[in-house]
Amino acid sequence: MSTLHTEEMTLNMGPQHPSTHGVLRFVVRADGEVMREAIPDVGYLHRSIEKIAEKVGYRGFMPYTDRVDYVCAMFTNQGWGMACEKLAGIEVPRRGEYCRVIAAEFNRIASHLLAVGSMAMDIGAITPFAHVIREREMINDLIEELCGARLTFNYMRIGGVGWDLPQGWREKALKYLDHFDPILEEYNSLISWNKIYVERLAGVAAVSSADAINYNLVGPNLRACGIKWDIRKDIPYSVYPEFEFEVPVGNGNWGKLGDSMDRYVVRIREMAESSKILRQALAKIPPGPVLAKTVRNFKPPAGECQVRVESARGDMGWYVVSDGTGYPWRVHVRTGSFAAMGIIQKLSAGLMIADLVTLIASLDVIAPEIDR
Amino acid sequence: MQTLIQNLIASGAFGKNPPSGLVAAIVVFVMSLVVFLVVAIPFAGIVTWVERRVWARIQSRVGPNRVGPQGFLQWVADGVKNILKEDIVPDQADARLFKLAPYLVMLAFALPWAVVPFSSSLILADLNVGILYMTAVTALTVVGMLMAGWGSNDKWSLIGGVRSAAQIVSYEIPAGLSIFPVVLMTGTLSMQGIIRGQGWAPQHWFLFANPFTFVAANILYMSSLAEANRTPFDLPEADSELVAGFATEYSGWRYAIFFMAEWGNLFIVGAIITTLFLGGWQFPHVTNNLVAMNVLEVITFVVKVLFLVFVSMWIRATLPRVRIDQLMTACWKYFVPIAFVNMIGTAVWVAIWPDGNVATGYIMFAAAIVFGAVFIRRVIYYLRRSGMEVYLNPAI
Amino acid sequence: MSAVSQYVHNIKNTVSTIFEGMAVTASHLMRKPYTVQYPDRMPVRVQDTLPFRYRGILEVDLEICTGCLACERACPIDCIVIVADKDQQTRQLLLSQFDIDIAKCMYCGLCSEACPTGAIHHTTEFEGADYSLESLIRRFVKDPVIAYKAKKGPETDPKLAPILARGMTYLEQWAPPGGEKPGGEEPA
Repeated sequence: MSTLHTEEMTLNMGPQHPSTHGVLRFVVRADGEVMREAIPDVGYLHRSIEKIAEKVGYRGFMPYTDRVDYVCAMFTNQGWGMACEKLAGIEVPRRGEYCRVIAAEFNRIASHLLAVGSMAMDIGAITPFAHVIREREMINDLIEELCGARLTFNYMRIGGVGWDLPQGWREKALKYLDHFDPILEEYNSLISWNKIYVERLAGVAAVSSADAINYNLVGPNLRACGIKWDIRKDIPYSVYPEFEFEVPVGNGNWGKLGDSMDRYVVRIREMAESSKILRQALAKIPPGPVLAKTVRNFKPPAGECQVRVESARGDMGWYVVSDGTGYPWRVHVRTGSFAAMGIIQKLSAGLMIADLVTLIASLDVIAPEIDR
Repeated sequence: MQTLIQNLIASGAFGKNPPSGLVAAIVVFVMSLVVFLVVAIPFAGIVTWVERRVWARIQSRVGPNRVGPQGFLQWVADGVKNILKEDIVPDQADARLFKLAPYLVMLAFALPWAVVPFSSSLILADLNVGILYMTAVTALTVVGMLMAGWGSNDKWSLIGGVRSAAQIVSYEIPAGLSIFPVVLMTGTLSMQGIIRGQGWAPQHWFLFANPFTFVAANILYMSSLAEANRTPFDLPEADSELVAGFATEYSGWRYAIFFMAEWGNLFIVGAIITTLFLGGWQFPHVTNNLVAMNVLEVITFVVKVLFLVFVSMWIRATLPRVRIDQLMTACWKYFVPIAFVNMIGTAVWVAIWPDGNVATGYIMFAAAIVFGAVFIRRVIYYLRRSGMEVYLNPAI
Repeated sequence: MSAVSQYVHNIKNTVSTIFEGMAVTASHLMRKPYTVQYPDRMPVRVQDTLPFRYRGILEVDLEICTGCLACERACPIDCIVIVADKDQQTRQLLLSQFDIDIAKCMYCGLCSEACPTGAIHHTTEFEGADYSLESLIRRFVKDPVIAYKAKKGPETDPKLAPILARGMTYLEQWAPPGGEKPGGEEPA
């Protein structure tokens, strides 16, 4: 029987698409439904944020860090604050560190909620997304009382945080956590263990641990491959050593180790762990100042520093070079999403087009983080 | 319907000695226009509003509630908007195929209404192959979708169109096979015949007649959802992958036709299941007044169909979408073998008990009530555990 | 697991997980929606429900502005333009221009943090959409005003005292560096 002549299609999953997370473009070479290759094309959201730092100075750059990753802005704030403090040798008071951890862990819950919710929506279930947005709204209400904004927080300052916890905020936060824990289990019953959902995710785009390290994956993407690496435990910073929490790691129960289901389940379990950390932090927060005294004209001595923060998307690296003036010489951010884009081209061979959507959603890429 | 017309002619409603053939033809023509324009199209519109309100409550939102009382005129506003939009035909698209495709899909939506049995005398055409006609005609959507996918000159639409062809053609098999158990039990393919083979009480419905027909009803319902392109089987118009699948390039009125056909098909799916398994329009004989009985029967039928439409919306809000190869696996490896087993099992059942076994009906109905109670307990468990405020009023 | 038991297990798993999912969605049908039907179907205006620290559109209380230009220096986007000159005759600081371009403003709060009296502050207003870009430049000075001079003791002018009190309450929300001034916050 002669073989049927087939041609390869080149499709454009363009910058405007309902399910690429932000403005991303993929050039997909496909043989019908099965892909040969998906080549990512980034840069649609580049705003020269790193260059802007050289113009606005150290203090003025803090609001810009919110825009580097607007879904988990507290971590970018914290990274920039820690970098400047390391350059100038400032120590943050203990209550300030506790406020930072509380804000950051709330933001981690919010970011992971959005990741799992939009993943469910990309796979076709529309209600989990709406439930997730409702939970995010409640967290946003809490943070709005704390710092006045719901998305671009500008909460942290060089030397601590900008606002202390208001009156009665701790009770509201604990009440929210009491509401959140059963809601997370309800969310799992609705979608996480649903057979159709598990079939869509299990075994899809498995990443081996060697590949994960070679391609520089970080955060939940890395931990899903079985590698236990979390900056909060391995290169501890702030007051994380004072809290008891586990680092969830993928175990390949659902299909292969490092597949999309592992990445998804790691995020769900990280939310539960964040809830644990928050309860401990809200109970143990010490009295005292929240902001260290810094000079009005902030001029760190010349030098360079590198700081790593465990953001919701992984190990976020901040590299700052100072030349002794009030404006940094160079700022560079290394984000987890940028690294994750690199592995998509390799993993896409042999996947179906529907699986490409699953892969992008499970890697939790956010376009502003890739392009800055 | 023919007896109704004969009665009307005999009672002198059309004058002294009308040509009865011509009168019958005109009455049927007018009635079909009425059914299509007054029942089918407005239903397709209103169900979009109901679906959006039901989804919104499931998602802790409100849904459209401003255009008209409780947002009831939202669908009218959407229809007017669609008519007023610019009619865009892509430059390189095959214009004839592109323009013809929505009408084929609409044809596949309009034709089944001819055999929908609203009551014991209100059916446009009581064919003696009614259910076979309905199955055959609903498959015409494949032609329309393939035309739309190819004629749009868009690779994504092409993928959507080809997916839909594979899906609808495959799911015809379990749907057809699941009709056989009912046909075996009644010996007729006509819609009214099948309904008359059941009783008005649930234990006399074919749903509970024997375990094989119960499973066949579920298989038929899921296959009909797959043929109607509803989640979890809505790959041809996967919102998050292919924007709108085969209908991506359509805008304005052409788009509205596609989606009116899709939502209106929910009624047809419900009508098929109601006729075959839920006893149709059967209502206990409480009065001898023909008009009153017909009204009660129509209300019974419509209530049952609307319940199934609600379940379709509920399923669409809950479940994610399957992938194309999982869709094929589900059809050929699960639905088809189970449908075969149902068919053979019902044949054996009918051979042993030719007149039916009433006890089984009671037992299965009782089991269904127990299952419903377990479900409601689970619902109350989730409601209580969430600690959120209860608000039962659908109007907000 | 053998093939047959895997087959049966798949069917059972599908049915039970779909049952759970449908129970969750059915329970949601009976809950109160979380939506706030803004702007008309609400008992109070949204602006009145927002917290005190909310960073909405900027406003300047010119009566207590000292003309120190701290906000202009602190703004990273340069959306504040102030012209404050010393009047040669009276030797007083005269503010002749105070423009804030709220189209450029990114609502970061760095200007209000720097103000010594709380003259420039964020309000809970957020409805600023308008038809022209020109109208988005808020010009707070109509006629040139004399800048405010802070007094050593409490403010005695009855018109200025409440404005100053509000400004200082607003400033107290910010964390004091080194914990010198008592912040208006709760102890742990």
